[in-house]
Amino acid sequence: MPPPLQAHRLLISHRRIPTPARRRFSAVSSVQSPPAKTLAPGPAASSILSIRESLLSGERSAAEITAEYLSRIRRTEPSVRSFIHVADSEAVREAEELDRRIASEGKDALGPLAGVLVGVKDNLCTANMPSTGGSRILEGYRPAYDATAVRRLREAGAIVVGKTNLDEFGMGSTTEGSAFQVTTNPWDESRVPGGSSGGSASAVSARQCVVSLGSDTGGSVRQPASFCGVVGLKPTYGRVSRFGLMAYASSLDVVGCFGSSVSDTATILSVVAGHDKMDSTSSSQNVPDYASELVSLDSLESKPLNGLRIGIIQETLGEGVDSGVATSIKAATLHLEQLGSVVEEVSLPSFSLGLPAYYILASSEASSNLSRYDGIRYGRQVSADDLNELYGESRSNGLGHEVKMRILMGTYALSAGYYDAYYKRAQQVRTLVKKSFEDALKRFDILVSPAAPSAAYKIGEKINDPLAMYAGDIMTVNVNLAGLPALVVPCGFVEGGSAGLPVGLQMIGSPFSEVTCVIADI
Amino acid sequence: MLAAAASAVPRLRLAAPSPPLRRAPGRRQWLLPRRRPLSSSVPNVTPAAGAGELEPPDLPRLANAARISLSPQQAEEFAPKIQQVVDWFGQLQAVDLESIEPSLRAGTAAGSSLREDKPETFANRDAIVEAIPSYDDPYIKVPRVLNKE
Repeated sequence: MPPPLQAHRLLISHRRIPTPARRRFSAVSSVQSPPAKTLAPGPAASSILSIRESLLSGERSAAEITAEYLSRIRRTEPSVRSFIHVADSEAVREAEELDRRIASEGKDALGPLAGVLVGVKDNLCTANMPSTGGSRILEGYRPAYDATAVRRLREAGAIVVGKTNLDEFGMGSTTEGSAFQVTTNPWDESRVPGGSSGGSASAVSARQCVVSLGSDTGGSVRQPASFCGVVGLKPTYGRVSRFGLMAYASSLDVVGCFGSSVSDTATILSVVAGHDKMDSTSSSQNVPDYASELVSLDSLESKPLNGLRIGIIQETLGEGVDSGVATSIKAATLHLEQLGSVVEEVSLPSFSLGLPAYYILASSEASSNLSRYDGIRYGRQVSADDLNELYGESRSNGLGHEVKMRILMGTYALSAGYYDAYYKRAQQVRTLVKKSFEDALKRFDILVSPAAPSAAYKIGEKINDPLAMYAGDIMTVNVNLAGLPALVVPCGFVEGGSAGLPVGLQMIGSPFSEVTCVIADI
Repeated sequence: MLAAAASAVPRLRLAAPSPPLRRAPGRRQWLLPRRRPLSSSVPNVTPAAGAGELEPPDLPRLANAARISLSPQQAEEFAPKIQQVVDWFGQLQAVDLESIEPSLRAGTAAGSSLREDKPETFANRDAIVEAIPSYDDPYIKVPRVLNKE
């Protein structure tokens, strides 16, 4: 099996959307260092721009590029198992269609994502393609429409190569919660890829697709990005339409993306972001062309970060965090200092309260959102003598263990007499968490932390202990409670597996400042 | 055609929700979701008390509310895990949240934006109908709806 993408030396841009009170910083583009020793001959066409160049120059056709990725999928899937469904014949057909249009229209046929193969997390609806949400209750279900994020990618010329594996309905942090298969981490196949967007992360890491879409409710894009050594972006709540995303917790869910470089991730964000009349929580805020903010490294002065104020969240580097992870993060921040930024520690009060508050809110909202899976209008139906029994049996049969747990916990937390004790208090904690981030982001431009307390752990290690699994989300949930954007980039390795296990650096910004920042791996 | 069909179908009585299996005296029926201050609905609990003072999750009742059939063995399996998580939730009881406003959402959006209230015909109705497990044009078929006493 080809080794996964190396976390190459990245110098990435930082560019905050200028507002009158804030400063501007010069931008840096992502740069690849010479591949490390174990890197397989990486296809140059693994990034969006180089695919575009190949198609324009005629050096490669879309059909050839697609065939290459499909062949890699066939070779690697037996061990990685990123995909619940591979749309091979559709992908080939779309690629051939693109080649025909290039032949007749020339470069006018090329949308910004022409010929780019994308993986889509299976909780995003794709018209006429199976969309299961990782659950048996939707086995065989084919939606009647594309999710807005998927539709926008397709309109830009992307080719959906398949639906990636996930924890059922987004509930979980390992992808072991899928009803269909266990996805493995391309860096070590005895370990988890993270979750819930594990398949989307592993697919990009194993180069089975160029970029992928995921969703992030409590860290489900950022933690797998860290575990699989790829770039993962969680946009501001409302930045990307949730229409067509199977809802888990409506006040926390966002559609996010994975790529092998920050510039690819930025390009995807530009394409999918923006107001959607079908999602009343989507923001009308203007969408900048994120990728165009990146400039070449050569044009930079020696200290490009020029006083950028970075705050390391104290509560994320103490007890309970793997020492290898803490070392990687500290080394990354040292490098950021060398590039001209000012790094300090900052404490976020109420940080640890965010975790139980998140689980109360998420379970409660899930108990409501998942009541639509009733076996009547779509999905799997178990026949019964009366209606209530049909609901009960269909749901019992179709929904998995973790999903049932969260629905029951949510039902409890919302029942009369308990609402004030749990749900309302969790909402109040949410206010505290938002305020503490707001205060910190007045003093700092971005906040940094690890994306998880450890690198990828072994498959089966946390499956019987729900609280141990929830504890791993401590670094990520507060960002969802506050609705902020966060980017995870690979920043180092810890011991484990045959080539080490990746560690990611999480960078958190203020709303709509989808930030990219300068880091380097160790 | 639908109007004719509607008049031909006998009016179905909606199933009443099943009553809870147990009712403690003085407790309001769990089915009505109106918020009430804790002190009036659960006599012995004050808001700042530890989680142990709230009645523990009654799994069969919750499963019924969530419309998920649980066998007694499954209920036994779930109960300790749920209890463990609920106890963990209880740490929020100890926090002083006096005068903190609850936040409905992440709060980055100012108001909601509503689209124009103009009906549009959805282009792919066939796919919607195709997904229905039990369909007998133009009805979605369900088993009898029982009115339990």
